[in-house]
Amino acid sequence: MATLKITNLHAEVEGIEILKGVDLEIKGGQTHAIMGPNGTGKSTLASVVMGHPKYTVTKGQITLDGQNVLEMSVDERSRAGLFLGMQSPSEVPGVTNSDFIKTAMNARLDEGKSISLFKFIRAYDKAVEDLKMNEDLPHRYLNQGFSGGEKKRNEILQMKMLKPSIAILDEIDSGLDVDALKIVGENVTAMKNEELGLLLITHYQRLLEYISADFVHVMMKGKIVKSGDISLMEKIDQEGYDWIKEELGIEDERVVVKEEEEKVMLGTCATKEALDL
Amino acid sequence: MKLQYQAQRDVKVKEISEITRLSEELEDYIVVQDGQIVKKQLGHAFDDLVVKTYDQALKEHADLFTKLAQEKHPSSDAYIYNFEECNSGLMLYLNKGKRITKPVHIFYVSTKEEFTHNTTIYLSDESQLNYFEHLYSEGIGSYNYVSNAYVGENANLTYGALSNLSKDVASYVYRNAWVMRYGVSNYRLADIGDAIQLMHQTTNLNGEYASATSKTIAITSGPQEARYETLVEHNAKDTEGFIEHYGVANNESALIFEGIGQINKGMKRSVARQSNYGIVLGEKARLDANPLLLIDEFDVEASHGAAIGKIDEEELYYLMSRGLTENAAQRLIINGFLSPVMNLLETDVLKNMFLKRVEEKTL
Repeated sequence: MATLKITNLHAEVEGIEILKGVDLEIKGGQTHAIMGPNGTGKSTLASVVMGHPKYTVTKGQITLDGQNVLEMSVDERSRAGLFLGMQSPSEVPGVTNSDFIKTAMNARLDEGKSISLFKFIRAYDKAVEDLKMNEDLPHRYLNQGFSGGEKKRNEILQMKMLKPSIAILDEIDSGLDVDALKIVGENVTAMKNEELGLLLITHYQRLLEYISADFVHVMMKGKIVKSGDISLMEKIDQEGYDWIKEELGIEDERVVVKEEEEKVMLGTCATKEALDL
Repeated sequence: MKLQYQAQRDVKVKEISEITRLSEELEDYIVVQDGQIVKKQLGHAFDDLVVKTYDQALKEHADLFTKLAQEKHPSSDAYIYNFEECNSGLMLYLNKGKRITKPVHIFYVSTKEEFTHNTTIYLSDESQLNYFEHLYSEGIGSYNYVSNAYVGENANLTYGALSNLSKDVASYVYRNAWVMRYGVSNYRLADIGDAIQLMHQTTNLNGEYASATSKTIAITSGPQEARYETLVEHNAKDTEGFIEHYGVANNESALIFEGIGQINKGMKRSVARQSNYGIVLGEKARLDANPLLLIDEFDVEASHGAAIGKIDEEELYYLMSRGLTENAAQRLIINGFLSPVMNLLETDVLKNMFLKRVEEKTL
């Protein structure tokens, strides 16, 4: 049974501290939900656990079954059993969904070994059916031209295929309509077992109507400020977050994050001439 | 432009093991080596395809060559040289209404210091051909290759190309197409060789509703310098032209894409689109994309753009977050880039050769 342990985690992006001492322990079989208003560091926590290169950990520890996660590269974390269902997954042109997942599954095996194609196709087709996605999915390019809902379902599909021991789902509910939310909820619930530790990040309560959580945490100012059971979620549902802020004496719950500019080098005639290149 | 052809006499043909290997699993293919057809294996699907070297074709189909000579041709020295000094020639001809959807692979092999080849593809009205060429050179020297394709009314040409010339070769490749009313041409060209390279593809949209797609994929590595030019000229109304360039520049190589969409005066409701994607892998590598639109008409649609940069960090992170090593993720992204041509390679032998070359060049 896997245990993910986060201790006093501090992390920054471009010199601005966003996580200011997060403590959390997730064990196999448990489902945790982190809630909180926008800009409080929830998604940053998910990205830091997975090892996004943009963030620097300045203090604290993350361990998975005693192994130091912070020393692992992104791919090692995945192979160790971590999974992050992303808020906005990248589109990769020319790489088909099935090729990608097959490569990812083979990466988990010893060198030189590969999964049986027959077994793979059967498992993949089943997952496509479970998530009620189009049959042509395996041949389509990874997330390219996908609607928001399709991208999210594709994340769950990948999780189904990779069978992680700790899965973090970062706002998997955003951009989903009611039907799609139901499908995602049912599929995630079906994956629950004694081995799987789940962390759901959301700022809506409706996701938790489909996936029940054992523990509910509230994040503000880059920290977990309140933890409880499902009754905490119910209270937030009715009263919002203001009572927590009042109770803790927090005025502004956000951590300052400057929107990072997209770095794309564009070379068109117009800009070239303007820059006199 | 008048073609002057000097047939090579007394050519001793030796078998090239690499070509034998690459053609192993292919069903329909032709090997042209130093001006001779040394191997021709075509199934019944190709019964309607007329295949001749210039020894015969220039005499028997003189009218076609006269007709093509009257069309607009490039005026560069290397191109004119090809017409004056050509020593290897192949003609493919389809009669009206003959449609062949199965691909035919043609290997153009040079074992000499000087290879000056000219191919003519003539698709009569309402015919269809799926053509794939492999450019290969054994020796050192120059590789001058021209192909001219006439795409008749409502005819359809799919043209794939894989160029894999060695670093001791200087190569000039010109591929022209003239597309008539309702005709369609679809060029997908890949260069995975190490040669110093100039590749040019021009499509003349000469009939109304003609349309053309031209995709070029190139990987440069080492000290290689290569330039790829694509021109789509709209000489008729309601024509469509799409240019796409995909490039990877490694080590200290220099790669240049030059794309031109040209809509002439009066060619109303034409569409010219162009996009360039480039990955710069090498610290000292250089990748230039110059997308141009030359438009002399108001009532048209046109767009062009270029995105050149390092391998996308977010894409890399995404793939790695599923357990792929950085190397494997990078490989997948680059191969994805190359998929337009990769998808045209039908046999595992060709696919593996392609992937191996790509790997060697992007390490």
